[in-house]
Amino acid sequence: MTKAIHFLPDEKNHEATRLLPYVMAVMVYLSALALMGSMMLHKGFGDWTESLSNRLTVQVTTADREARETQVRQVIQLLRNTPGIEHVRKLNEVEIEQLLEPWLGVGNVTSDLPVPDILDVTVSRALKINLDALNAQISKISDNIHLDDHQQWLGRFLRLMDMVEYTALGILLLVVMATICMVIFGTKAGMAENRETIAIMHHLGARDSMVARAYQNRFMIYGLKGGIIGLVLAFVTLISLIYLSRDLASGLAPVPDLPMVEVGILLVVPIIAAAISMLTARITVMRDLRRMV
Amino acid sequence: MIHFDNIGMRYGMGSEVLKDISFNLKPGSLHFLTGPSGAGKTSLLKLMYLAQRPSRGKITMFNEDVTAAKREDLPKLRRRIGVVFQDFRLLDHLTAVENVALPLRISGGKGTEIEEHVKELLTWVGLKGRMKSRPPTLSGGEKQRVAIARAVIKRPDILLADEPTGNVDPAIAKRIMHLFVELNKLGTTTVIATHDMSLVEEVGADRLHLQNGRLHMIRTGETVPNLEEEKFDSREFSSGTLDQNEFDPKPIARDEVL
Repeated sequence: MTKAIHFLPDEKNHEATRLLPYVMAVMVYLSALALMGSMMLHKGFGDWTESLSNRLTVQVTTADREARETQVRQVIQLLRNTPGIEHVRKLNEVEIEQLLEPWLGVGNVTSDLPVPDILDVTVSRALKINLDALNAQISKISDNIHLDDHQQWLGRFLRLMDMVEYTALGILLLVVMATICMVIFGTKAGMAENRETIAIMHHLGARDSMVARAYQNRFMIYGLKGGIIGLVLAFVTLISLIYLSRDLASGLAPVPDLPMVEVGILLVVPIIAAAISMLTARITVMRDLRRMV
Repeated sequence: MIHFDNIGMRYGMGSEVLKDISFNLKPGSLHFLTGPSGAGKTSLLKLMYLAQRPSRGKITMFNEDVTAAKREDLPKLRRRIGVVFQDFRLLDHLTAVENVALPLRISGGKGTEIEEHVKELLTWVGLKGRMKSRPPTLSGGEKQRVAIARAVIKRPDILLADEPTGNVDPAIAKRIMHLFVELNKLGTTTVIATHDMSLVEEVGADRLHLQNGRLHMIRTGETVPNLEEEKFDSREFSSGTLDQNEFDPKPIARDEVL
């Protein structure tokens, strides 16, 4: 491969394309946000639903304290004898208080407040439990005992999350397509601006690939520059959003962290932007030059 | 070296600007290309430096049929041709040295060798003090010398020059012609398009004379009607009462040239 020859005017004199890095920055910013949003939702809620998928919650709502404690003991006994149940644990008062605080406020959970006893049940992933049969057996102990496998509301929630995730990926795809169109437009404008220069290079014996290399290198730099600016802005936005969501979520929903693996993936975005930009420019130049003599 | 066989050329759907052009230039030959403005000199040169393809006929250069050559095969042929354009066609954002170095860089030459070689040639054409200057700051004559230096830097097999002495004083013109003649003696096939008849007479080479898109070979020493240019001009601007017998230089018979 021959060395790239510097024959195009300096970037600052390139009227058609000198603003391109900034437009690229916006594109990378939107891509990074969409990608990160999608990854964080996937990971954050994925972990959360994963942790709930092998959990059951049993609520004993009997008002009489003694009767309730007897029923709790009976249920625990029943659950421990049920194949497929790995672990049964009764939540203590502090844990129940923590669960209620987001709704009632800190310090408002008083001892005279009638709260149910809650059992946190861990189910084996290997064995399938017949929940209907288990529910029937529990009902025999008392009608005030409720078994909740979270599936009803979790299913809806997961569908919503899936939709948000697909929307984010859709936005990402649109942004990539818009970037490609923009690079094609920029390359064509750049070529039109330097049509005479390209013609001279051809007369001097330059191959199409030589001309294309000058453009692809230039657009790769645009992509990289824009990518870095866009990524920095995306990080600032993400960190701000996470910081704000911590205050707002207050335990109602899991607050996603900035996970290191996803951050690592995000660091590749400017390189991908540069590669898309470079390849698009090359293909555009080669196709356009093929129409010349 | 350059063989045109019954070449016709038109731009788009227009009428033919070159008609039935046939000639053969032997390797190492020197020819002037003459003719009035608009006769097709630049179009003929464009065909020779492979910037255009003919509408019909066959062109053979370097023993290759260039009319049938694939696009990707043209660059290696173009690298063997040096061209001095009438409008110089220098890259305005590059210095004189960088402009002259382009053909060497395109052919993959090495940086330091290129620079030495280029500086030597620019000194020779009298541009020692203007090496780092960019074309917009150069005079017409200086630009022309940079363009000439760029065309000859690789010592091409074919040198095509379109009015190479049009913008320089007689002393420099003589020097440039001397350079062309020397290159020709070294084996470069040379075609120089010019209106400067004194230059043609001084060098004394055969002429390819274009008139109304048709080519006529005028051998060294052959006399040409003195009123040739005037008559052409009057015909061009008259109301159309063209007398075909007014000027009729002998068209070249194909077997005479080929």
